[in-house]
Amino acid sequence: MVKRSGGNSDKAVLSEMPMRFGDDPLLWAAWLYYEDGMTQADIANLMGLSRASVNTYLADARTRGLVNIEIEPDRFRSVMIAKAMKDHFNLQDCLVIPSEGGDRSLFERLGAAGAQVLKRLVRAGDTIAVAWGRSVLSLAEELHHPGLADIRVVQASGSTTARIRWTPEACAARLAEALGARWVPLSAPAIVSSPEMRERLLAETVLSEQMVVLSEANRIVMGISSMRPESTIHSSGFLDGVDQQAHYQDAVGSVSGRFISARGEPVIGPVNDRTIGLDLAALRAIPQRIAVAGGIEKVSAILAALRGGYVNVLITDAASARGVLTADGWQEPKRRSQVPPPVVDGAAPRVHHGGDKKLINEARDIVDESIDGLLLAHEPLLAKVPGTHRAVMARNGPRSGKVGIVIGGGSGHDPGFWGYVGQGCADAAVMGNIFAAPPPDPILAASRAVHGDAGLLYIYGNFSGDVMNFDMAAEMAAAEGIRVRQVVTTDDIASSPPDARGSRRGVAGNVFVFKIAGAAADLNASLEACEIVARRAADCTYTMGLALEPVRLPDTRQPSYEVGPDEMEIGVGIHGEPGVMRQKIVKADDAADLLLDRILSEMAPVRGDRVALLINSLGGTQTMELYILARRVRQRLKAHGIGVHRTFVGPYFTSLDMKGVSLSMMKLDDELITLLDHPCHTPALTELGDQKGVK
Amino acid sequence: MTNLNATQMTELLRIISMRIDEASAELGALDGAIGDADHGNTMARGFAAVVTACVEAANQDMKAGALLPIAGRSFLNAVGATTGPLYASAFLRAGQAFDAQEDIPVDRLPEMVVCFCDGIAQRGKATPGDKTMLDAWGPAARAVTEAQQNGAGPVACLDAALEAASEGREATRAMVASVGRAARLGERSLGHVDPGAASAVIIIAALREGLANLLQGEAS
Repeated sequence: MVKRSGGNSDKAVLSEMPMRFGDDPLLWAAWLYYEDGMTQADIANLMGLSRASVNTYLADARTRGLVNIEIEPDRFRSVMIAKAMKDHFNLQDCLVIPSEGGDRSLFERLGAAGAQVLKRLVRAGDTIAVAWGRSVLSLAEELHHPGLADIRVVQASGSTTARIRWTPEACAARLAEALGARWVPLSAPAIVSSPEMRERLLAETVLSEQMVVLSEANRIVMGISSMRPESTIHSSGFLDGVDQQAHYQDAVGSVSGRFISARGEPVIGPVNDRTIGLDLAALRAIPQRIAVAGGIEKVSAILAALRGGYVNVLITDAASARGVLTADGWQEPKRRSQVPPPVVDGAAPRVHHGGDKKLINEARDIVDESIDGLLLAHEPLLAKVPGTHRAVMARNGPRSGKVGIVIGGGSGHDPGFWGYVGQGCADAAVMGNIFAAPPPDPILAASRAVHGDAGLLYIYGNFSGDVMNFDMAAEMAAAEGIRVRQVVTTDDIASSPPDARGSRRGVAGNVFVFKIAGAAADLNASLEACEIVARRAADCTYTMGLALEPVRLPDTRQPSYEVGPDEMEIGVGIHGEPGVMRQKIVKADDAADLLLDRILSEMAPVRGDRVALLINSLGGTQTMELYILARRVRQRLKAHGIGVHRTFVGPYFTSLDMKGVSLSMMKLDDELITLLDHPCHTPALTELGDQKGVK
Repeated sequence: MTNLNATQMTELLRIISMRIDEASAELGALDGAIGDADHGNTMARGFAAVVTACVEAANQDMKAGALLPIAGRSFLNAVGATTGPLYASAFLRAGQAFDAQEDIPVDRLPEMVVCFCDGIAQRGKATPGDKTMLDAWGPAARAVTEAQQNGAGPVACLDAALEAASEGREATRAMVASVGRAARLGERSLGHVDPGAASAVIIIAALREGLANLLQGEAS
C-alpha cells in the first residue's frame, strides 16, 4: 500500500475516494490535478494529505506512466517556428500563433496576439507610430492598457477616404484610446494630387509639427500588405488611377503605404512623391518596428519586409512563418520523436519499391512505339488519323449527321485516352508527350477526320496545357467552319475546394463522361444536347485518389516526389503531382473509407440515390487490391442506402507506374443510366447493352 | 556586324537549345517538387525542334526575321503541353516585331526578351506574383527597356535582363502558385523556385552568350 501521512484521515480518504479509481490514490490525485485542474493544495485538502505527498504522488504517477506529458504539436511547432524566425531574420522577438483556430478570423487572432505583445513592450513616455491595416485595427480593439504616463500615438501616414474600417486615422485613434495616450493625427491626406501640393502642405505649421512627433517615434505598429487586388494597399486607394503594371511590377508588398521589392528595396513609383507619411528610411530608423501580419497570400510581402529590415518584432501565424522561412531556404529540423530509429548493423536495408526496371527501347520512342502497337493490336477498332502520329480514330464511329466526340490529353494514362475510342464512345483521341497536352495540329487533324457535319464535342481534363491547346484547335476548327463545343472535366476533389470546382483537375472520372457523351452522340443527340448531358455527367462525378509510390518518368527514372516507406500520399494528381496531404499508410478498408467519405461529403447523396463506381488503379496497384477496396466501398454504400448501378474495377485511367488507386463516383439519374448502359465497343470499354445492374 | 542573318540566328537558338538540354535534369527536379517533373524534357524537346526547323529554313535562304514564326510553330507541335502555346506565342510575337523579309538588327536583338514577355503574358494570362515563368520574363523585359533607354548596347541590355530575370527567379521561392498545375499545391509550393522561371533565365543567359560569341568572333 502507498504510504500516507495524516493517520486520522486515512479512513476518510478511502471512503471518499470515488470507486472508479479503485484503491489507487495516485490515479485519483493525478486525475484531480490533470483532468479536474485542481491545485495541489486543494487536492491535499480533499484527499486529507500533505501538499508534499500530493507532489510525490504526481511525480510517481508520471514515473509509472499513468500520466504522459505531451506538448501539443501545434503549440510546439509555433514555438519552434517563432524561434527559427527570430534567429533567421535576426529579430528582437517573434510570436507565432496557430494558423487555424476557432471561429475568429486570422486578423482578429493576430490582433489579439499583437495586443498581448504590445502590452509587454510599451513603456511610459513612448511615442508610438501606427500604420494601418486590418490586423492593426484589431490589435487596437483588443488592447486595453491605460495608465502609462506620457504616451503619444501618432499616425504614420496621412488619412484616406477609403471605404474600409481600418483607415490610418481609425487605427491610430483607437490605439491611442486603448493606451490612454495622446493621439497625434497627420492632418493631411495620405495621397495628394501633386508633389508640389505635398511640399506646400508639409510647410504648414500644423502638419510640420505633427511630422516632428512622427520623427520622434520610438516604436511603430504596422501591418504588411500584399499586392493582391484585395489587399489593404488597394482598398485604401493608394493605387487608384495608377497603372500598377507599369510602375509597381517589381513591388511584392507595402509597409506604411510604401512599396518594396522582393529584396526589400524601395520601389519608387509615381505615388511616392505624393505620399504624406513615414518613408522607408525613416521607418527603418525607428528602434522598435512591430509588424502584425499573416496569411499565406502575404508570404512574399512579409519576407520582403523582413529582408529590407523594416520589421524587428513580428506577430504572425504558423503557416505564413513557415512559408517565409522555407522561401528563404530554411529547413525544418526533425523533432526527437520524428527521427527514424537507427539502422541496426546487419539488418537488411529497407528497399524502396523498385520502379526503375522497364521494358522499353529508347525513352524518347515510348509514346510512338506504344501507339504503333496499340493500333496493330486493336486494328479492327482503331485507325490512325491521317497525317498524325498520335491521334487515333474509331473505324466504326464517325458517321454523317452524328456529333463527333474528340478526347485527349497527355500520354501515360493508358488505356486513356485511346482506349475509349470506338463505336458508342469517343470518335477520336489525341495524345501528347508523356503527361503533356497534345499540340493543336493533331487535334485539328482529328477534328477534320471525324466530324460528320453535326459538330464536335471536345472532352478533356482541366489542365492549363490541355485547355490552351484544345482552345487553339477549336479556334482553328471554327475557322474551317467546324462547330466545336468543349466540356472540361473537373472531378478531382482533392485539387481545389468545392467553391472553386472550376479549377479542379479532371482525372479518372473522365471515363464516365466519355461514355455518357459517346452514347448521347450515338443516339443522334444534337451537339447542344450532347454538351449538356456531358456537362451534367461531369458535374455529377467526383474522384479522390491516393498514392503509395510516386510515378517515375521513363526518361529520368526518378520518382517525381518522395513518399516514405510507411507513408501514403492523399489527393495525388495523375501526372506525378504531389498530393495535398501525406500520412501513415493505412489498411485497405480505412483507405477506402478515406476516399469514400470525402466523396460522400461533397456528393451528399440521399438514401435511394443511385451511383456508378470506378475503382481505378493508377498503374502499379494490383487488381486483387482493387477488388478488396471495391468490396469495402460497396458495403459502405449499402449501409448508406445508396444503390450501385455499375461497378468498374481495373486500370481504366492510369499514371504510368504509380502505385495507388482512385475512386470515382457518378451520381445517376434515369437519363445517365440509359446512356451508361448504351452499347459501346472500344478497346477498354465494351457494353453489350443487355446487362441489368443489380438493384 | 549590324544584322544577324538566318544562320547566325539559328546559331543563337542552337546555344539556347544546348543550354536547356544541359539543364533539363535540373529543371525536371525543380518541377518534380511542385509539378510533374517534365519541364526540363519539354523545354529541351521544344528547342531541339526549333533548331531542326530553323536549320532547314536557313538552308532555304530565308531571312532571320522569318525564322521566328517557324520557331514558334515547331516548338508548339513538338511539345503541346503548357509551355508549347506559351513559347509559341512568344516566338510569334517576336515574329511580328521583326520584318520577315529582313535580317535581325543586332541592336534590336534584346527586344526578343520584351516580345517573349508580351507573348507569354497574353497567352498565359498570369499576373506578376503568380509564381510562373512570367515572374522572370517580366523583370527581364523591363530591364531591357530601361537599359535601351539608357543607351546600353545589346550585350549590356541582355546582361541587365539576365540579372533581373535571375532575381525574379529567386523571388518565386516566396510565391504561392496560383495558376498552373502547382496551384493545386497551395502553400506546399513555397520555398521552391518555379521551373518555368528557371528555364527563362537559362534562355536569356544563352541568348546573351550566343550574341557575345558572335560579336567576339567578328572582332577577332
